[in-house]
Amino acid sequence: MGKKEMEAPAIASDVALDVQDLGVRYNLQLTKKNTARETLNRLLRRGREDRSFWALREVTFQVQRGESVGVIGANGAGKSTLLLVLAGIIQPSAGVVQSNGHISTLLSLQAGFDQDLTGRENIALAGALLGVDHREMERRTPEIIDFAEIGAFIDAPLKTYSSGMRAKLGFSIATAVDPDILLLDEVLQTGDEAFREKSRQRIIDVLGAAKAVVLVTHDMSWVTGFCTRAILLDEGRIVMDGDPETVVARHIENAERRRADRRARRAKMAAGEIEAESLRAHKAKGRRSR
Amino acid sequence: MPIANDAPATYRTSAVRPGPATLIAEAIRELASRRRLIAYLVRADVRRKGTDTLLGNLWWALDPLIAMAVYVFVMGVIFQRSVPDFPIYILAAVVPFKWFTSSIGGSTGVVAKNERLIKQIQFPKLVLPIADALAELVSFAFGVLLLVGLTLLWAGGAHASLMLLWIPVIAVVQLAFSLGITLFVSAVTVFYRDVGIVVGHLLRMLFFISPILWSFEDAQGRGASLKEGLGPTGFWILEHNPVAILLASYRRVIYGQVQHGADGGVTWSAPVAPDLGLLAALFGVSLLLLVVGTWFFKRLEPAFAKIL
Repeated sequence: MGKKEMEAPAIASDVALDVQDLGVRYNLQLTKKNTARETLNRLLRRGREDRSFWALREVTFQVQRGESVGVIGANGAGKSTLLLVLAGIIQPSAGVVQSNGHISTLLSLQAGFDQDLTGRENIALAGALLGVDHREMERRTPEIIDFAEIGAFIDAPLKTYSSGMRAKLGFSIATAVDPDILLLDEVLQTGDEAFREKSRQRIIDVLGAAKAVVLVTHDMSWVTGFCTRAILLDEGRIVMDGDPETVVARHIENAERRRADRRARRAKMAAGEIEAESLRAHKAKGRRSR
Repeated sequence: MPIANDAPATYRTSAVRPGPATLIAEAIRELASRRRLIAYLVRADVRRKGTDTLLGNLWWALDPLIAMAVYVFVMGVIFQRSVPDFPIYILAAVVPFKWFTSSIGGSTGVVAKNERLIKQIQFPKLVLPIADALAELVSFAFGVLLLVGLTLLWAGGAHASLMLLWIPVIAVVQLAFSLGITLFVSAVTVFYRDVGIVVGHLLRMLFFISPILWSFEDAQGRGASLKEGLGPTGFWILEHNPVAILLASYRRVIYGQVQHGADGGVTWSAPVAPDLGLLAALFGVSLLLLVVGTWFFKRLEPAFAKIL
């Protein structure tokens, strides 16, 4: 990683995460599955048009030890990108992210599974991917197997598992980590009814044990129920940061306004109020930019 | 739950661009600390190759044998261009060349196919091409067993010699060389998928311009027109193509050397040691390639999660 680890410039010990003026820019030219021809065309036809997009812009906040911060916002507001940066998976394009402690993510459900390895071997593989020491992982293996309720299947190749068993195993591994600073993308709920109840309890335990939590979710009951603070993102910027109840209320209000806007636009369109003129202009613009 | 508070505070910013030395030191540290991850990935890869097909890893021995049979037929029967003990002659080049093509060909997608993983877990991506290269090495070991076994048995062990012990040495040079290339190819393919197609064509060209169906000794005898046609510079380049150096070395230690008599008869002489000067030079180039490749890979690595 281009990550530079150095003497952390004074970060107070009671601060778990410190995010200063963070920006993340995606280069749209490269994010598409490119072929050389497309690139060449672009280079030839439109020399230096800026085709980048800021998924996050000027984001600044701190997470204190003991805090649980819920990050909410509409789809595409930058919530998941924020979590990816905090986890170190993508690098900031601007600003600074500092952390005081080990960051664990629970976004890794099933990500590293290999179909040809057995359940037990997959536990070891997942541990190695997450950077957990193998002795530590071996110590936790019985507990993981027990929690996942897959019994004798644990020594069968993963491809013989049902999707429910896979999900349970993934969940058990993900939540077996020692949480220090914990990042969660959507509260992972999986499996049958009984397992869901059990996993809910497990998440609550893990959340409680972590020193600090950042949780991205669409389920507002988790935000109001567990978070001590909430951050509302919109188009990559923080629009509100504060008490969960207030922020959630604002989020719901925003969402309703957007829905109302959309309805109004549709109604207008149906009534033919948008003149053919502007529609044509819009189309022409779209063609040019293609 | 007591948690040791020795986790280092990390500091990430866009402002610092680590230099080559920092990146390479970081790469070595990452690989050392993720040895187990590499081992698990290799195991998964070997097992996948073994379980996907009915005959499993046996294909690794069958594949070069079938290829050899085809070439022996084409060259020996159709072109009438065989040399004594032609199957051993061909196999000595086909097995290492197959290792080379599957290493380089497979490496094009090694980062790209792990898209899901890269987007969800923060881990050193360098383990991916390295695990891939080591898994290919395991497959090659199967092929070498077959090759050595056949050499010992063929014509009552006519070609068997202690020179076979050079195979691991040549293999180390080849591993370094192909891993160096893999680092470049796997990183660039993330950005441009076309690379995979181009590499496929280059490998096919390499098959014909490298001494697999023919050898440089031919150029002394009836193949003299080759040398004439290419000119001294062209022939030098052909002879010093890294893959040609490797394949010629394998053939020298396994088969021996082809000799053309004045009367046009073709014989062979006993296996000899490879050209150590050439091999050492290639090893030096490969190490350089590894270092630059590591830097290149590490430099592009931060962009992988965004691009994929």
